[in-house]
Amino acid sequence: MSKEQKPAFDPVILVALGIGFITMAVVLFAFQNQGDQALDISAGTGLSGRIMVAFITGLTTGGLSCLAVQGGLLASSLAHQIEQDYLEQSNLPKKHGKKQQPQKRSSTALPILLFLAAKLVAYTLLGVLLGWVGSFLTLSPLTRAFLMIAIGIFMVGNALRMFNVHPVFRYFSIEPPKFITRYIRRTSKGTDTFTPIFLGALTVFIPCGVTQAMMAAALATGSPLTGAAMMFAFILGTSPVFFIVAYLTTELGARLEKFFMRFVAVAVLILGLVTLDGGLNVMGSPLSFQNLSRSLLPSESTTSAQASSLQSTTSDGGLTLSVGNDGYFPQTLRADANTAIQLNLITNKTYSCARDFVIPALNFYQLLPDTGSVQVDIPAQPSGTRMFFTCSMGMYTGMIVFE
Amino acid sequence: MIKKTFKVSDMTCTNCAMKLESLEDVLDGVKEINASYHKLQMVIEYDESKLTDEQIIAAVKKKGYHAEPA
Repeated sequence: MSKEQKPAFDPVILVALGIGFITMAVVLFAFQNQGDQALDISAGTGLSGRIMVAFITGLTTGGLSCLAVQGGLLASSLAHQIEQDYLEQSNLPKKHGKKQQPQKRSSTALPILLFLAAKLVAYTLLGVLLGWVGSFLTLSPLTRAFLMIAIGIFMVGNALRMFNVHPVFRYFSIEPPKFITRYIRRTSKGTDTFTPIFLGALTVFIPCGVTQAMMAAALATGSPLTGAAMMFAFILGTSPVFFIVAYLTTELGARLEKFFMRFVAVAVLILGLVTLDGGLNVMGSPLSFQNLSRSLLPSESTTSAQASSLQSTTSDGGLTLSVGNDGYFPQTLRADANTAIQLNLITNKTYSCARDFVIPALNFYQLLPDTGSVQVDIPAQPSGTRMFFTCSMGMYTGMIVFE
Repeated sequence: MIKKTFKVSDMTCTNCAMKLESLEDVLDGVKEINASYHKLQMVIEYDESKLTDEQIIAAVKKKGYHAEPA
């Protein structure tokens, strides 16, 4: 196969760049509107934050992780198609003394787009289903914490599996039923228009580790709309990377795959640890990274002391905590021991998940208004008690020290 | 028809198992292949008059893996 037969400018790259630019535009738009209610679809729970996390997870690790499970299917289908294109081209009659005009390989871009579009639709529908199922399960903060810890362990286990640390970690991957893999494999041999659509839709049955974690997160939302939005954002995020990598796989084969897998393993490990830490925060555990560092590190104590000096005390001796888009302020509050107190939570155009306020020790959970104040009665606590508070995702944290 | 188990210790993900199962469509005389990433093995049911162990091992090698009878 000569180099002249290759198209001068591959439409696949054009489409990939197009998707990349669209994705960047979406990211920039979302970031510009972070404080805007327009993105807060449910007018509650920091949905835009969750969607952004889902999207960025997809963009950074999801696409690469999917490559291991789903990339081969698309690539093999594409490789066959590319081969057909080249064969057709090489069979064209050659004109003497004239350079053959390369044919456009438009047929390659279409199946990738169809594949990704079908995948996007299928996973969005799956998100609706997961959210709907989740709506029947009332998730208390503690249940959510356990779920997050389980997801975190699953992700860390998956990362250790990728690093080949120990054979036991192989069980952190889910093997799809044989009849499904067999059906998918046989369908992938076709090259018509419907094949990539079928394949894209059927990928819901062979999700990668990161996707499985995102599915669990969609289930935990307990809302079909939020579940769908999260899955949509995640799969949209995976699309550019998946597209480019799927294309590169056909060109460069397994050489890049090893490099990508290492990168994915590191990223999944970090995300897994972050999720695990979030779960510990929601549980109110002093062992989470944030709570440990706040309690132990001298620099953190200084910051806390400075912060606590800024806290306002209400006339009845209550404490005031400002709930902002970037967390709680001050992060450390100090209260008198053995005295019941009232904690006033103040929000002002707050749309982040900080509004989902949780005090695990009191089993208190409330979605705060985006602007307003909410009072929480805290019973008397013995001296030395550290009462942790957090958002429902374990991202933003703080504590009250009773002394 | 006989059923034999081969150890394939260099599988790295569930997709590897799928790749090995695709030998069903390539090897003549194979009725069914069940590969498991969890167990790092593949169970193959085949007609021994049409196919030998060596041919199976060679076909697995072509897919990029190393198989040996368990």
